Amino acid sequence: MFVYEKKLQYPVHIKTVNPKLASLIISQYGGPDGELGASLRYLSQRYTMPYPELKGLLTDIGTEELGHLEMVGTIVHQLTRDLTEKQVQEGGYDAYFIDHTEGIYPTAASGTPWSASGIGVKGDLIADLTEDLAAEQKARVTYDNILRFSDDPDVKDVIRYLRAREIVHFQRFGEGLRLARDRLDEKNVYYTNPSFD
Amino acid sequence: MQTEKTEQAGTCGIGKGTLPDGCAPLAYPYIPMQQNNPPRYNRAEALQTGTLFPGLNLPFKAAMAEKMPTDNTALAELMALDFAVDELGLYLTTHPNDQEVLELYWSYIKLAQEGRDKYQKMYGPLLQTDLTPEQGYAWLKDPWPWDEGGDD
Repeated sequence: MFVYEKKLQYPVHIKTVNPKLASLIISQYGGPDGELGASLRYLSQRYTMPYPELKGLLTDIGTEELGHLEMVGTIVHQLTRDLTEKQVQEGGYDAYFIDHTEGIYPTAASGTPWSASGIGVKGDLIADLTEDLAAEQKARVTYDNILRFSDDPDVKDVIRYLRAREIVHFQRFGEGLRLARDRLDEKNVYYTNPSFD
Repeated sequence: MQTEKTEQAGTCGIGKGTLPDGCAPLAYPYIPMQQNNPPRYNRAEALQTGTLFPGLNLPFKAAMAEKMPTDNTALAELMALDFAVDELGLYLTTHPNDQEVLELYWSYIKLAQEGRDKYQKMYGPLLQTDLTPEQGYAWLKDPWPWDEGGDD
């Protein structure tokens, strides 16, 4: 089961509101390569993983991603609290505001609501872990792109931290894949699917 | 037949890792294993950087200059300890035989428990199961982590 711990993984202290930046960062809450998708991808893939280190990696990284979801939600909340009508309009937050006011809703920056079509669960350890490697890189690029458009040091500091986590996760998924190979058929790794055959 | 040889474990440098038998198979994604007992940051710098390992610190140009000093609070200290435990836990998942890191892991587990007790005495419970009769039902005490002042 899951238990809530009443703290963030990394501190978020944003002093200045910025609705424009919030409307971009919301993509890491509910966009195609965001933290909601990341946590559901890993936590869903783990059921058919055949080896303990793969079950462990997907459980622990999936759980950490839930912590990152909370951090991204906190960033968006702190960037949009107590806005004036003028700030909403001039900050380009009006379309979002009409539907959600200052609520935090899982959507891409483009306005598409969160969709499971951004994640893959194939029931095959090679396919799933290869998806996870790609997913970590896509999230890393999204954070790079957010950094290009951020000039608030309070925001950049947290985004930089989240970006660094994607690289560590990429490394660990790659190591998991490497460890799994030693247990698959030596001559033909595709010969059987250990979670099914 | 000529095969590609890689250097022995331990001589690859901190930004690289080993391949089995010096060769990687075709048609299989391959990430080198991080070498055992890799160089590490201290825990405060690790939290600030987002990784405990200098070899995995691959920054982006737009973020190179941005490093905020870590607060010197019971919460920041606990975050650094919990982060080190999580980061080492992921490492140990794929390197369960690294004795040096395993010992470091136990020492951080102990420090994190002490940091947790210290924080909770000052600010209240982190888990609902941490509530004590003396505090009353302190679970609902503001600020929550996303609120202003929630990370002070």
